[in-house]
Amino acid sequence: MATAAGTVETSAQGSVVWSWVTTVDHKRIGILYGVTGFLFFLVGGLEAMLIRTQLAVPNGDVIDADRFNQLFTMHALTMIFLALMPMAAAFFNYMIPLMIGARDVAFPRLNALSYWIYLFGGLLFTSSFIFGGAPDAGWFAYAPLTSTAYSPGSGMDFYVLAIIVLGISSMAAAFNFAVTIINMRAPGMTMLRLPVFAWMTLIVSFLLFTALPVITVALLELLFDRNYTTNFFSSSNGGDPLLWQHIFWVFGHPEVYILILPGMGIVSEVLPVFSRKPLFGYTAIVFAGMAIAVMGWTVWSHHMFTTGLGTVPQVVFTASTMAIAVPTGVKVFNWIATMYGGNIRFTTAMYFAVAFIALFTVGGISGVMHASPPVDTQQQDTYFIVAHIHYVLFGGAVMALFSGLYYWWPKMTGRLLGEGLGKLNFWLLFIGMNLTFFPMHFLGIAGMPRRIYTYDTGMGWDQWNMVATIGAYILALGILAFMLNVARTMRRPQTAPSNPWDAGTLEWATTSPPPEHDFDHIPIVLDRDPLWYDRDHNIEPQTGDPGHIHLPPPSYYPIIMAFGVLLLALGPLSHLALTALGAVVIVYSAWAWMLEPTD
Amino acid sequence: MSADSEHVAPAHHGPTVRQYLLIGLVLAIITVIEVWLSFSDIGAILVPALLIFSGIKFVIVVGWFMHLRYDSLFLTQLFVVGLVLGSGVLLSLITLFWTDASDIVGFN
Amino acid sequence: MAAATHDAPAHPPTNTGVDNRKLLMWGFLASECLFFGSLIATYLIFRDESIIGPFPHDWVDINGTEHEGVLDIPLTSISTFVLLMSSVTMVLAVYGARIGRPQMMKVWLLATAVLGLGFLGFQAYEFVAFVDEGLTLGTNQFGASFFVLTGLHGTHVGVGVLVLLLTLLGSFRRNGLGPNAGDHVEIVGLYWHFVDIVWIIIFTVVYLIPSAPPPGVIEFF
Repeated sequence: MATAAGTVETSAQGSVVWSWVTTVDHKRIGILYGVTGFLFFLVGGLEAMLIRTQLAVPNGDVIDADRFNQLFTMHALTMIFLALMPMAAAFFNYMIPLMIGARDVAFPRLNALSYWIYLFGGLLFTSSFIFGGAPDAGWFAYAPLTSTAYSPGSGMDFYVLAIIVLGISSMAAAFNFAVTIINMRAPGMTMLRLPVFAWMTLIVSFLLFTALPVITVALLELLFDRNYTTNFFSSSNGGDPLLWQHIFWVFGHPEVYILILPGMGIVSEVLPVFSRKPLFGYTAIVFAGMAIAVMGWTVWSHHMFTTGLGTVPQVVFTASTMAIAVPTGVKVFNWIATMYGGNIRFTTAMYFAVAFIALFTVGGISGVMHASPPVDTQQQDTYFIVAHIHYVLFGGAVMALFSGLYYWWPKMTGRLLGEGLGKLNFWLLFIGMNLTFFPMHFLGIAGMPRRIYTYDTGMGWDQWNMVATIGAYILALGILAFMLNVARTMRRPQTAPSNPWDAGTLEWATTSPPPEHDFDHIPIVLDRDPLWYDRDHNIEPQTGDPGHIHLPPPSYYPIIMAFGVLLLALGPLSHLALTALGAVVIVYSAWAWMLEPTD
Repeated sequence: MSADSEHVAPAHHGPTVRQYLLIGLVLAIITVIEVWLSFSDIGAILVPALLIFSGIKFVIVVGWFMHLRYDSLFLTQLFVVGLVLGSGVLLSLITLFWTDASDIVGFN
Repeated sequence: MAAATHDAPAHPPTNTGVDNRKLLMWGFLASECLFFGSLIATYLIFRDESIIGPFPHDWVDINGTEHEGVLDIPLTSISTFVLLMSSVTMVLAVYGARIGRPQMMKVWLLATAVLGLGFLGFQAYEFVAFVDEGLTLGTNQFGASFFVLTGLHGTHVGVGVLVLLLTLLGSFRRNGLGPNAGDHVEIVGLYWHFVDIVWIIIFTVVYLIPSAPPPGVIEFF
């Protein structure tokens, strides 16, 4: 590991724990997100294993109905909010400043704040199992099931408050990354020279800070309905349960693009490197990403085709939903064209990226089927939808995240993950995933509803449920293979070179792992894939004494303010005095934060 | 988007104190007109008139007080994105939930 | 840990020429358009869906009896005027900060905070008056959506007043708000003006535009 010449400020010497608690370094925050996100991924996976074990045989008695409802609700919420989004954030954090040639994000302390709020929000959410029961009305929490009449426990209050808290974390991160990408690019890095992953991060940031406020309104209205006598969503006094559905899905649909676009960005980075060819149709892929984000705002009621919308809305939403397949298809064809004629290297990262294309396409096809209301009338609330969801989210987002892990592991840790175990990891996940979720198409067509804790024999569902459960156990083995790979790899010395894959983007221009200040010299960018351009044009990297590099000092105000946010949320769950205390903590830490010296 | 870094302009042109006070007066007058209209019997034109006047006040505050007229176009674009999406959500929801007397069954 | 405690360099270069924090604030205001857009939508959906009173504007019931609405438009016009004028004082505060006249900045910051508190005072009075007339969160759909919408807006005003006062407090330090005082105050001003323009919309939509309860309603208490 190289060390920089010149005077470079380093973090305070002190306890290791304290240095992590007060870190504002984007790389460390990325690792915090990644480790925490992966742990919650295991939690969500455990919830799924319990669900699949219960459903393996008809009339199963492993889990009772009440607990089952909590499990499928929390499985979705944990995976979406506590695992997938944070693991994408881990890569945003670690890679974006490096990719754009910056030394950190625009607001390093705000970045740390986002992480700590996420951690506290995730713990709040998961603690609901112990404190009176987890939310159990499905992750989309339809009214009036979520009213106090039908959900008398505190589970749904945990739901409301935890998602608001997590939303604050994501909003702060979204603003941070948007400003960073727009304002802090290295000289010569025009927008159309940005790596596709950076573009997807920017687009996802816009989606986050525009969509999250909408669900915040819905959540606040639900909170008031449950605790402060209003009737927004119960029809008894003039309210309307359907309003919840609309407001929720106006957020919910952009949310699924928030979940998949980072993965599309990762795959757009991995494919060219292991095809030894530049990305085909860069501009088309970027604009398709923008189109998906914009069009994603126009399709939400396709989640509501069976609610009696009326002919005109149904037709409108059918058209918009089918239209959104077009930019997605544009991307798929450009990825394939990238590989075509390339000199393919079959690394584990490449396996995951190629599998992403195939599996996401399968999910996309079932998605287009749901886009037709008559077809959806049969498919809605059946396992056909569950199949679609998991093909796009597991076959899509999760596979892409694993591709990113194998690709960027050497950059982050200085070690390459083992390829042998990596391939085993891949095949177990690939086979397990298809075995688990493909049969769900059949189950859905055969009429098996979602969210049932058991089923009787003789419905024609027994065989495929057993197959799906076996697949789930194979998935679990695949995850274990990954963890074994990590454990083995991390015991080896840090011998990875700066650019083990011979990639073209700027994060590979510095050491593996990078020094605290990222780059000795801020690169000057002359083209996309700057490293390939420089190599092809014999441009030497800058050398010499970098001189004094200013780094933002560590701070403990982010974690204190995050604690204040947690207190704000705890108030409605116990005593409103906690909310008042939380407000005081937030104001105090904001004041101290503003006064803190930043050099 | 410029490829080169720019320094933020330290001083900026913008309204003078006198102009700010004048704008404030204009806003106050428009408000008085709006309130007066709401108490007058002008029929169906009231709602569009009120919306137009509010829109004018909105643009004045955003353009001059919030300085968008003098700042980078990018900021206007950014704000307009939020405005368009917010208005879109508002209009969609109102359209989807619009009811009137014809929706009440059995009333005559 | 660095030893020197001078402020960060003024105006570090950015690709767009816009200061990072100003860009952040505009992004935040764009997101707030979505927040208030959804709230106003909820209000508009539910305003005329109350099956019992009180109702916002004067109305005539099925028996031909006239009833008064609870909204006091003359009073709210005054509070609207107060908030509008606070935007004027805010730009004067920014102006003072920009041309390097901290006294001018402090005076107008204080004026803005006072006007903001005045607005909140009117709101509090109005809320209490409504409760006295029988309108609460749980009474009907108008009550629910009105109090949530204006209450959340009022919360935004309250946060703004707090930030104004803290900014004012900070300006009494030895080196005031530092060399970037103009930037700081301008960014606070952006938030404040936004809260004002949201009220412009709310005032028009809630107070000025007339409403009517569903036909056939007889008022119950």
